[in-house]
Amino acid sequence: MRIARPWRVSAKLAVLIGGIVIASSQLVGTPAKAADPLKVGWVGPLSPPGGYAEGALMKQAAELAAEQLNAKGGVLGRPVQVVFADTRGKPEEGTAAAERLISQEKVVAITGEFHSSVFLAEMEVAHKAGVPIIAVDVWALSITAKGYPEVFRVAPNQALIATKYGDWIAAAGFKNVAVLFEKTDGGQSARDVLLPVLDKHGVKYEVVGADPNSTEFTAQIERFKSHQPPFDFFMTAYSEAGAYPMISQSHTLGFAPSPRTGIANSGGPAVDPTFWKNVGEAGKYLVTEIVGLPKNAWNDKTKAFVAAYRKKYNQPPSPQAIENYDAMLVLADAIERAKSTDGKAIVAALEKTDITLGRGRYTFSTGKDPDWAYHQFMNAPVALVQYSKVGQEAEDAPIVWPRNIADVKYTYLKPGQ
Amino acid sequence: MSWDYLFVQAANGAVVGVIYALIAVGVTLIFSILKIVNFAHGDLYMLGGYCAYYVIEYLGLPPLLAMVVAMGALFVGAIVLERLTLTPLYSDATERKDEYGLIVTFGLAYFLRNTAVIAFGPFPLKPPSFIPGVQRLGNLVVTNDRLVAGGVGLVLILGLLYFMQRTIWGQALDAVSQSRDSAAIVGINARRFNSFAFGIGAALAAAAGALVAPIFSLAPDMGVLPNIHAYVIVILGGMGSVSGSIIAGILLGESENLFTAFFPDPTRAFAYTNAFGVLVLMVFLIFRPQGLFGRRHLRME
Repeated sequence: MRIARPWRVSAKLAVLIGGIVIASSQLVGTPAKAADPLKVGWVGPLSPPGGYAEGALMKQAAELAAEQLNAKGGVLGRPVQVVFADTRGKPEEGTAAAERLISQEKVVAITGEFHSSVFLAEMEVAHKAGVPIIAVDVWALSITAKGYPEVFRVAPNQALIATKYGDWIAAAGFKNVAVLFEKTDGGQSARDVLLPVLDKHGVKYEVVGADPNSTEFTAQIERFKSHQPPFDFFMTAYSEAGAYPMISQSHTLGFAPSPRTGIANSGGPAVDPTFWKNVGEAGKYLVTEIVGLPKNAWNDKTKAFVAAYRKKYNQPPSPQAIENYDAMLVLADAIERAKSTDGKAIVAALEKTDITLGRGRYTFSTGKDPDWAYHQFMNAPVALVQYSKVGQEAEDAPIVWPRNIADVKYTYLKPGQ
Repeated sequence: MSWDYLFVQAANGAVVGVIYALIAVGVTLIFSILKIVNFAHGDLYMLGGYCAYYVIEYLGLPPLLAMVVAMGALFVGAIVLERLTLTPLYSDATERKDEYGLIVTFGLAYFLRNTAVIAFGPFPLKPPSFIPGVQRLGNLVVTNDRLVAGGVGLVLILGLLYFMQRTIWGQALDAVSQSRDSAAIVGINARRFNSFAFGIGAALAAAAGALVAPIFSLAPDMGVLPNIHAYVIVILGGMGSVSGSIIAGILLGESENLFTAFFPDPTRAFAYTNAFGVLVLMVFLIFRPQGLFGRRHLRME
């Protein structure tokens, strides 16, 4: 006869109870405590070879948004914590960053990114994990055209930007355009949208691709200068630091801006804080886009953001900054409405977004005609401005296109006029 | 083809070529003594540019004087870096010295580049011009800054040649570059000259950075492309040859410019400029594997 030993019984009981506790906690899940931070991922370039200047501006805006949300009690009663991941402008780094944010940091959603090619890699990871991701300053059409439910975009896309350039070029009377684009997803997407618009208007063009690391453009600009018939417009889709030497060299060599040839730069560097320090006189008459509301249409939220950003960082915010700030608030609004951090619930809430922020009234299209419209902020503001003074801030530059919001009578201010 | 157009493009190519040579000559010097290709050279060039910028900004010195200060600062800084990171190269315990040099200088490049983003900020900066304005000769338009960069660059390169060939320190450097053991027999402390060569190479990089800053602007990643150019030039010129670097620099500047100017497909001409530079190198090496003025004793003993 075996005698049961009391300690063995209690040990088995302890194991059993422990097992039940562990199993039940796995089944039910650990409920978030009120003080647990709600983690939001941020992806973007913060170091070379990516567009780290723009990435830094976006990061600052995301920090400001989180700070303000937390000052008002956070989201779902939890403080918002932004987990930043540097993607260095490289798709493989973007994939790794998105995987780390989702699997290790357990973020509930992701915002950010400046490079289309990198975002295309990140959104694949988010799509597989069912985590919502909001594209902040990436313009390639394929991002929303892929039709992933988790992907939303607050930025305009190339169809909304490059089309405006094409229409404006025709309306301003240019007939023969030199197009220089950077050989990246963003630059190629700009080219692919722009050229059919120029074709539609009967504008002739010559297209040149450029390495994104280039800083020496003299030979190419001399080639443009020698072209017959002469080019009357120099359209550049170039977002890297080389945009500044390109604009300076074009001006110094007498190509553009000049009474014969106008110039535009699409991609962002012409609205960055050190634009004028780098290009000086060469920046006057340059046309660029702003992807925020024009100053005359600023609402209270735009004004409050600009004031807070200037106070915190001692510089004016760039359009990328307000895009990222708004993306954070759009996400916070969706999570509050979803009353959950579940990916599907947030996606459903994002689809029903209707909120007015610093860039106007945000809603996301759920239609797929055209394919890029899916989850796109269709009313994303885009205006073309032309600097009329050296040192002018982008928000003070005259709006020349579209005409319904233009604040000057001319469509194009010719140098020397 | 108009002769005028050819002249304009060739003249611009020569100016760019001298700037390339100035960037590359420091790599050449370091290679000739330490027998490693310094892949952090472009980043030392970046640091030199920023150093000159802040000297102008905060001390109010004129740009040319700021360049001299930057050269001095980088000379000292580079010696510290060399002492900290490259001394295992001189030890017999290090078996794979080429690989060690490669990895350490690559690591240094990434470290300096990423630190620069934090230290100097992400936005491109531009110091004031050396001499504002442009010079015109017919259709040729060259900024004064390019002429200053080319001119001062040539003076620095010629100064280096004079130093190497006509001074006792330069001859000692040359002796170390030819044979470390023989140099040691006649009483030359090779270790000291390693540091000295690395410092001089960095000072030349700093000069190049300061000279091109008003032309190309300063950015933390500004050294990436010059690194590639410098590497091509050093091989083309014959690894370790200062004179070869000058000729190869001008050759590369000319070939790239003329390729962009005359390649029949205008859509692709500019995009393939860098590739064409490397193609020139490959074809050249088929016929002259040691480069223009290459010597054969190229490994660390």
